[in-house]
Amino acid sequence: MRVAALSLHGIRMDSSKHYRSDLTDLLQKSNAAAAVIPAFSSLALGLGTGRISAGASFAETVRAAADSGSDWQEEFLALHSELARDNGLFLTAGTVYERENDRIYHTLCCFDPAGNLCCRQRQTHLTRFEREQGLSRGEELILFDLHGLQAGLVVGIDARHPEVGRGFALLGADILLHSGALKGELNCWPQAAGMWAQVQQNQFWAVEALFCGRIGRTDFAADSAVIGPCEITPGQSGYLARGYPHTPFICANLEMEDLYRIRRDYPLLKMLNPQAYREDLFV
Amino acid sequence: MVKLKKMKFESGSSGSRYKAADERKGIMAMDGWKEKLFRHYLTWSCRPVRIRGYLHRILPSSRIPYPAERSRIRAAALQLELHLVKNPLHYVDLMHRRLREAVEEGAQLIAFPEYNNLALLGLLPGIEKMEEAYSKKGEQEAKPVEQGKKVKGSEGKSPAEDISLVEVFRYMSPAVEPLVKTLFSSLAAAYGVHIMAGSYVIADGEATVNRSYLFGPAGELIGLQDKVHLLPLEAEWGLKRGSAFSIFDTSVGRLAAPVCMDATYFETFRILENKGTDIVLLPVANLESYNYWLALRGIWPRVQESPLYGIKSTLVGTIAGMTFTGRAGIFAPLELTPRRDGVLAEVETFEREGMAVADLDLEALQILRSNHPWRDSNKAFYERYLSENSYTASMKEHTLSKRNI
Repeated sequence: MRVAALSLHGIRMDSSKHYRSDLTDLLQKSNAAAAVIPAFSSLALGLGTGRISAGASFAETVRAAADSGSDWQEEFLALHSELARDNGLFLTAGTVYERENDRIYHTLCCFDPAGNLCCRQRQTHLTRFEREQGLSRGEELILFDLHGLQAGLVVGIDARHPEVGRGFALLGADILLHSGALKGELNCWPQAAGMWAQVQQNQFWAVEALFCGRIGRTDFAADSAVIGPCEITPGQSGYLARGYPHTPFICANLEMEDLYRIRRDYPLLKMLNPQAYREDLFV
Repeated sequence: MVKLKKMKFESGSSGSRYKAADERKGIMAMDGWKEKLFRHYLTWSCRPVRIRGYLHRILPSSRIPYPAERSRIRAAALQLELHLVKNPLHYVDLMHRRLREAVEEGAQLIAFPEYNNLALLGLLPGIEKMEEAYSKKGEQEAKPVEQGKKVKGSEGKSPAEDISLVEVFRYMSPAVEPLVKTLFSSLAAAYGVHIMAGSYVIADGEATVNRSYLFGPAGELIGLQDKVHLLPLEAEWGLKRGSAFSIFDTSVGRLAAPVCMDATYFETFRILENKGTDIVLLPVANLESYNYWLALRGIWPRVQESPLYGIKSTLVGTIAGMTFTGRAGIFAPLELTPRRDGVLAEVETFEREGMAVADLDLEALQILRSNHPWRDSNKAFYERYLSENSYTASMKEHTLSKRNI
């Protein structure tokens, strides 16, 4: 199966029409069966099209987006539903701020090739910044069928919390699609400490799209990546494909038999020792 | 990870009576009179009074004074190159030399590698021939088999092929354990430092464990830790895995010493962090060709997930056709390293001896933990997805899944 991670670099954000057209070009070039768009894409597009008002800071912009009501978020999701359907692929739209009762969640949605919503995953762990913004934690992990693979979505900082990867692995995940963002200058190590590390200790695939650009005077930079267990990737690096922040998209072909083989040859999960965890793991 | 196979047992002229290896999960009885006699000799040659007497002659009479500042600790991760020793005193010399080098760098906390007893296999008579046979076997295996030529009976076997290494370790335990305790206790006391002596495969009653040892500056044995996550091969050998993680409150911080594969699983470091550990000392012996990324798995991502300091001590070199590689290092959360790469110090070579030395700032670690930018906890989530039942059910499913068999 061919997968792609998009950086959104070079995609025009001044109108939904331009966004749709540019993204369609990229998706067609990628020829992927599943593609992932970075986090904060609804913020970036909302700001670009004037649907969200820019705050003086990133925090204020997030607050404005969260408070803006559901119209823009629904429109954003509808746009990606159509993109998934029109291009015949699974499309993981970037993140939105989802309001339910008095709570706000950072949420990632995936649409299937028919344009139907196949997964809505809330971020389960929050950064200090996100807690200060009043966001709430999701408490559920959802798996969905992606061309015969068990797939899950990873939102934002959940990539740095190994409990999330392990939870998905224990549920039987074969592939995780991560949509995130890293503040500051480009540094490959936080990424390696995130999804790369989760892949190595759980033996699944991961497709990672991270936002690059500026929102409310805050810069974001990171690489896109398609990650697998070291033993079944070129140079044993754990990377099947890796892009720089300005690479519009990266692609890789996933051979599931390779994954099953490494799980058979080196059964990491079988060597877990839950009896040793019972008292002290989650105090 | 060692490839020696289980011994097949026969009644020999020595009167040895052995049980089939598989009947005891790879544990055999080396209880013939020759073996007993040699073990007596081994135990005698490694006797504590002899080791202490020798150390008394070579160790300094006065300690190097250290500042009593608990918040900043100088640590050393040793990379030991494997050499078989013919005499227990040579082992003493080897360990002493490496320790002294670390002490001369000002280290107060010093870590030795996993399988630190492999060098002691040199005490066994004929081990060189066995090693030679293994090396040849390794070379032969590298060549393609000539078409049509069959290898008959023992013709294609090395004399070492039938020996279980774990059984050899059990056999040597009565000599090795007192040697290790006496040696590292004396070294720690003589230099006034904390030593993680590495790990040793030893007999513990009927069980065999891969155990690390921690000694304090008065020479006291502070604690032990049995490897909790075994390699598949170690499980096949019949090693018993540890059932809990221990931490030890010392004058250089709260320490823990899980073993090698334990760092493959985030659970180890999360538990240790939850219990208040500041520094994890991890003895490692990786039986694989060196690859940067393969070596990155383990302690480096673990200290990023659970903020604490990690000290990785490694065994390198070749014995019996097996080559160990790795780079000893001292690791920290990205936020506490100057290049934001999680590395405080790392040995440059992966196949020769070396040492990584760095200062650990425990106060900075506490500040980071108390005001961490992205760490969070979600109890409801953990109760739902990471209960003991979730693990057990998934492991069962994983074992039974046709895709994974």
